[in-house]
Amino acid sequence: MDIFGNLLLGLSVAVSPINLAYLFLGVLIGMIVGIIPGFGPAAALAVLLPVTFGMEPTSAVIMLAAIYYGSQYGGTITSILLNTPGESSSVAATFDGYPLAQQGRAGPALVMQAVASFVGGTLGVILISVLAPAFSQVTRSFGPPEFFLLVVMGLCTLIVMVGGNWRYGVISALVGFALGTVGVDLETGNSRFTFGSAELIEGIDFIPIAIGLFGLGELYYAFYTGLHASGSGGVVQYQKERRFWPTLEDFVETRMALLRGSLLGFVIGVIPGAGATIASLMSYSMEKSASRTPEKFGKGAMAGLVGPEAANNAASSGAMVPLLTLGIPGSAATAVLLAAFLLWGLTPGPLLMAQKPEFAWGLIASMYLGNVALLALNVFAIPLFVQMIKLPYRLLAPSVILICTIGTYSVHGSIVETWLMFAAGLVGFFMKRYGFSPAALVLALVLGPLAEQSLRQSLTISGGSFGIFVERTASLWILAITVAVLALGILMRRASARG
Amino acid sequence: MRAGFLAGVLAAAAGYTWLAFAELAWLSSAGRLGPGFFPRIIGVSLVALCAFSLVADRRAADEALSPFWRTTLALAALSALFVAALDVLGGLLSMIAFMAASLWTLNRGRHLQNAALAIALPVCLYLLFRVWLNAAVPRGMLGLPF
Repeated sequence: MDIFGNLLLGLSVAVSPINLAYLFLGVLIGMIVGIIPGFGPAAALAVLLPVTFGMEPTSAVIMLAAIYYGSQYGGTITSILLNTPGESSSVAATFDGYPLAQQGRAGPALVMQAVASFVGGTLGVILISVLAPAFSQVTRSFGPPEFFLLVVMGLCTLIVMVGGNWRYGVISALVGFALGTVGVDLETGNSRFTFGSAELIEGIDFIPIAIGLFGLGELYYAFYTGLHASGSGGVVQYQKERRFWPTLEDFVETRMALLRGSLLGFVIGVIPGAGATIASLMSYSMEKSASRTPEKFGKGAMAGLVGPEAANNAASSGAMVPLLTLGIPGSAATAVLLAAFLLWGLTPGPLLMAQKPEFAWGLIASMYLGNVALLALNVFAIPLFVQMIKLPYRLLAPSVILICTIGTYSVHGSIVETWLMFAAGLVGFFMKRYGFSPAALVLALVLGPLAEQSLRQSLTISGGSFGIFVERTASLWILAITVAVLALGILMRRASARG
Repeated sequence: MRAGFLAGVLAAAAGYTWLAFAELAWLSSAGRLGPGFFPRIIGVSLVALCAFSLVADRRAADEALSPFWRTTLALAALSALFVAALDVLGGLLSMIAFMAASLWTLNRGRHLQNAALAIALPVCLYLLFRVWLNAAVPRGMLGLPF
């Protein structure tokens, strides 16, 4: 079947009333999650996973995916009105979004960010529709060496590109790998690090760890930095502005930034480990370099808001490519999505699009509709979200802890896992405080079993020779991309160190 | 504190590595790579990197303690008490108790708002998880129906 045929099949799945209802619920929750600082999509997806247990698999994944890309829209509203990014990927939006709001252009900034998010998200989904089937064909030839190298590439990219101390990033990933080895070794049947506990035989479930690290840990850190005391008094009163809608000049000026941001974001999103934050920051640098008036950047340049916004939304679409075609998540949030797929008996990988076309294309088609719904929500429901920004953090925080705790317990009805979530919350707090990477830990925990299995299989095939990792063209390509990304990351770090 | 955290990770990594060498074989009985292969590599790398970081960062100064550390500690302690209470009081009562205690700590003086939120949110969550989704919510030891 061709792309249009597949898309029509997907649309027929996505437009069923129940799927549309869950899609709309998902984008709404995603917007809210994006607005709440210190509570990201990874934690939200992990907490809401048990809520989807009673749903049809396709409806559940459509809703969870909508929360994921919807959060990219919501995070920017607080960046523009409060100078506080709701998500790390919305940091770049504070550089010019908040100055625009201070100049009395909050309305146009909010509308333009919604348009940019829509264009980036939609272009990203168009590119998925075109490239994912081709990607799927290519990756069918991948064997254990390629899968091992992809895991290594994802973690290296995450550690080098996100910044901070690279040693702490590697330590975080190694801890994740170590936790992933707990339980029964699938090849030999030996128990490892279980200490005779029946709870540990199946290994450490990453849902409590993800909820702890990204839910509780982030929240404790937000309190530690005084977010609850800062209040929402600084919210720009955009309703008092004379002009809410952007001018034609705004659109004309930023049309190339929209396109550049979308394309760059998608490419960055496809690389496992890079993600929306990197995409938005790179787009900001690119727009500043390409601008004829770089001195306006940081003082309210519309292109400085629009480019990164398009980029982070395109990146969140791009991240679906390795997830759907390889089963390799590029971020903590997509790792939770992978867990959702597996819970529903859907194994992402090269054969998913061929074997479950109604699911894969239903999800892709729902992303088109989701972006339209998000555009409408962003433009017409801004007053509602502004009211949410004004909700005091001291009231939100206990509510989030409540949802995290009950959500964790409800997955398996296990009090041990609830304690594990609490412990992960404390560890997550210290990791944030000292510059470690909770995302690398979670990603390594999820990908650890795949990394171990593919490494052992590769070395068994080659009789113990590491030469197998440079024998095939696909392996060499992955290695070349890894080296290129690492070099880029190192250059970015040096540039950042020079200010 | 940073050194303390790193030392804690190093100690855990050392224990993990020791177990990987002591209890898990490098090769399986069939002569293939065994259950200890991957954990040994991970363990040794982790110990080496933690030890190196401890030495390399020994002079790195810790940031000053935030003025909000007491609030953070109180919130963490309340979270721990909440988890501990789940098995005793059951889901609904522990949720109400946790919300009441944390709102009393964080949102002082607004008794009506706190009381309304401390009851409404737990009841809604209980209805969502237990009644609508039929998901597991702790029963507790008191034998209460919720």
